[in-house]
Amino acid sequence: MVILLPESVVRIEVTPKSGEDLRDVRGQFIQKQLLENNNLQFEEVRSIVGYLVLSDIAAEDIKSRAGDIFADPIIEDFCVDEVMIGKEEIFSKTPDIAISIGFKPGVTDNPGKAALDGFQTVFPKVSKDSKISTYITYLFYGPKQDTDTIQLSRALHNDLIEKSVIQENNFSEHALQFPLPPPQEFQPPKSINLNKSDDELIQISEQGLLALNLEEMKTIQAHYQDHEIQSIRIQHNISPDAPTDVELECLAQTWSEHCKHKIFAAKIHHLDQETGEKITIDSLFKTHIMQPTLDMQENTDWLLSVFHDNSGVIAWDDDWSVCMKVETHNSPSALDPYGGAMTGIVGVNRDILGTGLGARPIANTDVFCFGPPDWDKPLPENLFHPSRVLRGVHAGVRVGGNESGIPTVNGAIVFDSRFVGKPLVYCGTVGLMPRTLPDGRPSHVKTPTTGDLVYKVGGRVGFDGIHGATFSSLELTEESPSSAVQIGDPITQKKLLDMVLEARDSGLISCITDNGAGGLSSSIGEMAEYTNGCHINLDKVPLKQPGLSAWEILVSESQERMTISVRPEHAASFEALAELHEVEVSHVADFTEDGIFHVTHMGKTVAYLPLSFLHNGVPQLQLESEWRKPEHEPFNPPHDVDHSSLLLEMLRRPNIASKESLVRQYDHEVIAQTAIKPFVGPNRDGPGDAAVIAPIHGNSKGLVISCGLSPRYSDIDAGAMAVAAVDEAVRNAVCVGVDLQKIAGLDNFCWPDPIQSQKTPDGRFKLAQLVRANQELERMCRAYHLPCVSGKDSMKNDYGKGEEKISIPPTLLFSLFGNHPDVRMAATSDLKHEGERLYLFGHSSQELGASEVAFHLFEKGEVSGIGGHVPRLENATEKFEQYQKLSQAIQKGLVRTAHDCSEGGLGVAIAEMCIAGRRGAVIDLDGLGDGDTWGRLWGESLGRIVIGVSPHQENELMDFLEGCDIHLLGIVRGDNLEVIDGIDDLLDCSVSQLTEAWQGTFGGGEMFE
Amino acid sequence: MSEVQVAVLYGFGINCDRETAAVFELVGAKSTRVHLNEFISKSLDIHQFDILAIPGGFSFGDHLGSGRLLGNRLRFALREELQKFVQDGKPIIGICNGFQVLVKTGLLPGPLEGEIKPDFVQRASLTLNNSGRYEDRWVTLEFDPQSPCIWTKDVSRISCPVRHGEGKFVMPDKKQLDQLSDNNMIAVRYVDSSTQIGEGITDEILPFPISPNGSSRNIAGICDKSGLVFGLMPHPEAIYARWLHPLFVQGQAPIIDEVDGSQMGDWEGEGLQIFRNAVNYSLGK
Repeated sequence: MVILLPESVVRIEVTPKSGEDLRDVRGQFIQKQLLENNNLQFEEVRSIVGYLVLSDIAAEDIKSRAGDIFADPIIEDFCVDEVMIGKEEIFSKTPDIAISIGFKPGVTDNPGKAALDGFQTVFPKVSKDSKISTYITYLFYGPKQDTDTIQLSRALHNDLIEKSVIQENNFSEHALQFPLPPPQEFQPPKSINLNKSDDELIQISEQGLLALNLEEMKTIQAHYQDHEIQSIRIQHNISPDAPTDVELECLAQTWSEHCKHKIFAAKIHHLDQETGEKITIDSLFKTHIMQPTLDMQENTDWLLSVFHDNSGVIAWDDDWSVCMKVETHNSPSALDPYGGAMTGIVGVNRDILGTGLGARPIANTDVFCFGPPDWDKPLPENLFHPSRVLRGVHAGVRVGGNESGIPTVNGAIVFDSRFVGKPLVYCGTVGLMPRTLPDGRPSHVKTPTTGDLVYKVGGRVGFDGIHGATFSSLELTEESPSSAVQIGDPITQKKLLDMVLEARDSGLISCITDNGAGGLSSSIGEMAEYTNGCHINLDKVPLKQPGLSAWEILVSESQERMTISVRPEHAASFEALAELHEVEVSHVADFTEDGIFHVTHMGKTVAYLPLSFLHNGVPQLQLESEWRKPEHEPFNPPHDVDHSSLLLEMLRRPNIASKESLVRQYDHEVIAQTAIKPFVGPNRDGPGDAAVIAPIHGNSKGLVISCGLSPRYSDIDAGAMAVAAVDEAVRNAVCVGVDLQKIAGLDNFCWPDPIQSQKTPDGRFKLAQLVRANQELERMCRAYHLPCVSGKDSMKNDYGKGEEKISIPPTLLFSLFGNHPDVRMAATSDLKHEGERLYLFGHSSQELGASEVAFHLFEKGEVSGIGGHVPRLENATEKFEQYQKLSQAIQKGLVRTAHDCSEGGLGVAIAEMCIAGRRGAVIDLDGLGDGDTWGRLWGESLGRIVIGVSPHQENELMDFLEGCDIHLLGIVRGDNLEVIDGIDDLLDCSVSQLTEAWQGTFGGGEMFE
Repeated sequence: MSEVQVAVLYGFGINCDRETAAVFELVGAKSTRVHLNEFISKSLDIHQFDILAIPGGFSFGDHLGSGRLLGNRLRFALREELQKFVQDGKPIIGICNGFQVLVKTGLLPGPLEGEIKPDFVQRASLTLNNSGRYEDRWVTLEFDPQSPCIWTKDVSRISCPVRHGEGKFVMPDKKQLDQLSDNNMIAVRYVDSSTQIGEGITDEILPFPISPNGSSRNIAGICDKSGLVFGLMPHPEAIYARWLHPLFVQGQAPIIDEVDGSQMGDWEGEGLQIFRNAVNYSLGK
């Protein structure tokens, strides 16, 4: 091993050349961003990128080749071991301020990794221990204000992961040096005495960030008091009557809420104060989610794998199966929006890659909930402004998805002030795999056997990402640890993905799973259940830096790793394939059948846990819930409202406004399959309802992907919130003509802590909300023949404690994927032609409680409450029959225009259709249902879709839809949207006014022209 | 020649390899996805192929400049092989990141006068869009009918998406840029869709979003002097079928015939001809 000394670091600095057609776009981007977001104005901002090379190559040699590696000869200037700012031929003026930003030691530096790869291309013999660290320096010229440099620096970096140095007068020296991590001292495994009082047990859990409750700690205590266990442990030379730190950490990870879903598995004693009814539910998951799906599985042949794998798998046709998974990454995204969100999206991609024997990710979905972007109230400590969270999360998901080559096809962004405390970041991925692999095995069945070699595949293990799983099971506080945050590396993962799919098709994989929360302890621990045992040798795990102790190696969640098992006779081919793809693989464990999770390190047993205890030892929680109907001041619509102005205001609301400027930055078309894109219509800027993709090249058979969520309704009833989520996902899919015979769903619950305690005095109510949401989810799924095939829950979405506590509104995201017989028949939301006839499918009631219009007027101070009826969709079974007819009408080509009514009801829906088609319409609300004008125009009754039909197909369509609840609305005509109610004129807006309002909120267009 | 063999490169963050392989198959060629290291290690011989395609993607995460690190691997590890491939008169296409790779290795535009032997000298670059951001949006492209480019023969105008953050073509040496133009090597440019076909091409930089990035002379793609090596930022493979066009839902619903995968029929998209041209060229050799 070569010793690399910090003194030998060679520094290369690179800056864009100036000249005609050449600009410092990075500097200009920061200049504009600072003006927009921080009201800081400068005459000019320029940028320098720095590379610090720690290697055994002589400085002279690096100097002679630096131009080949680090700089583009056409557009960039560079210098080696000089101060770039001081070079007068490049920077003729001295800046007023310079701020340099680099990563803290140990934080993933993706440009540095890529630079090192490029360095190795030119210097193939360079030491393997070489490192390159990068930084960026911004130079600020001509400040238009008295600039607070600390504030400026804060706007540019995140203190949790980055270091920033400000220079104001002296620019003759470099601001940043190579970020060497402090040497870590190896801690030998120790045992932890649990023969302690209850208070002390809790203290051990809290101080160790174990997130284990008293009963769980006592269960562990009892395990080690068992004499039989003790005598076996003596034989294996491991502390007989106390867990090692490795074992305790491993149990904490495996038993965490994140991994074991203890609240969904709990026994709940539920009291409904509205009806007086008392019931006991033995696991919400088993009762309301799993059982309905299992019942449906009996009547279908296409539910191939549900609930037990990394994602649920359905048979799409005889040749292909499809799977989908949605995850949340809320806490890391709150601490580091960019890194947290990127890790979220590349993490869920791995869930797909780890499904069956490996599925190929083909589409991403992103759903975010944020605080209002224009938040002007004080922010609690340690929280970022919602607009910064939005920017960071958006950038993270954009980079993660785009660089992985997976199109982002569907999503949503919802705003509510309570998401200031914790943003919700849902990342989903759809996967595709051939039903049968070339070697004849069905792709959805894992086939590990005793004696298989278990490989850790991908990135090395480091200090980053220790305690992610347990941390996400705790509330966010000012002291939240930075080690829980990581930055994903999409390119390392892309190499891994390419390699795994080749290995799958060559028949080399017997079992595969993702290395996510809980690290190796979870991934190998779960796989070991197939053969009933494993032996892990921690000495074989390659490390990013020395000094990690045994428990840290076992639980670290360092990213871009999979765990794969291989038959011994395939090991050589597997390792050769890894070498071709430049992916590191290490044989770290073997499957056994002795029932033991056995870990050794430096020749000693450091963990010896019965698998049955590890996986089934966690005691069932006993919880109480109590439902009381929340009291709300009713929403009484004001008189004398100008509905035209109100419509324009509604279109500007962040929840409704076009997010095109954000969504365009996602690649939604890579793989050449996206038929119905996020934006539709002649100007390609109207809202798409659901994505439709044709992933088999040359074939027009399609898949539909949609989602629904409506956190607002939880203020009145979380059950109604769940109903709205499911119906919206299905409704969106119906709008494009989904095949309702083959749809599958995913339930992702994000809840505030629902366990009654001192810090959560309203836990019983929050748990009752969860009970109602589950009961209604079951009712809807059964009515819609919609099996849930996968799901996840995140149950501690609170910030702070006591008076300061901010809890999110309970939120269920319902995602759907399903079959489309032929993408060429899909319908879109844009009005198609003059004279098109418009109908409203579905019934309108007076359902304005917690509606978007109620919140709008409430926030403006024009009404005193948001209370009232929320939509419930009592007749869901009938609704499903009608949806089937409409979907079939679309598939037959009778309907080319369809858009659903959601936030803002019919008023917003028809306005969006006008915008999408750049056409006007005249519609009459008379006879649409039993609501008043407000109910019919702004109410949010579920199950409603506006459809357009050509006059010559109108009769045929009406015959086809006979028996459906359908009402003539009006006609496509002119350049204005006119709404009347019988004889009353309600609203008249030009389409250009509507477009301007809808597109104005989140801007658009180019940055600098 | 009975079947044209196409090598479609992948690895290190290339990500349009599957659809690029598929479109060549749709026009009758045989595609093989080849990991770059298979060529470097010589476990596969590049000369057994008739066409080389470098697809879009984010090789090495665009770090140190898009296409640069992958370009270096080609430039240093496959130098002679690529030189021979080009001198053998075999077509090469680079799309999006693949175009960036070809420009940064110096294969595009390549020598502007004299003998056509790749010298691996970089003469142009692709840099950050004027907008400072990555975008996925559809553009209208017009092709130079005088261009020697074998890929763009008889293609006058198509629409297809751009999906890049670094697509602004720059060539600060005006004399070289004029040579590029005089040799009709500027094979394709962004044009205003409201102009007549054949009248869209202009040197005047068009406003966003007609030109999505602010390229010099609205350049979307160029070829080398021989017309065999071609690169462009937009994605013609993304419009291999009409159902991928954003406007296909306009007008009446279609009457559907079966699409069997080998014959797109009426549903062939306007981008496919580019790939067919190269396959026909190889067949005719």
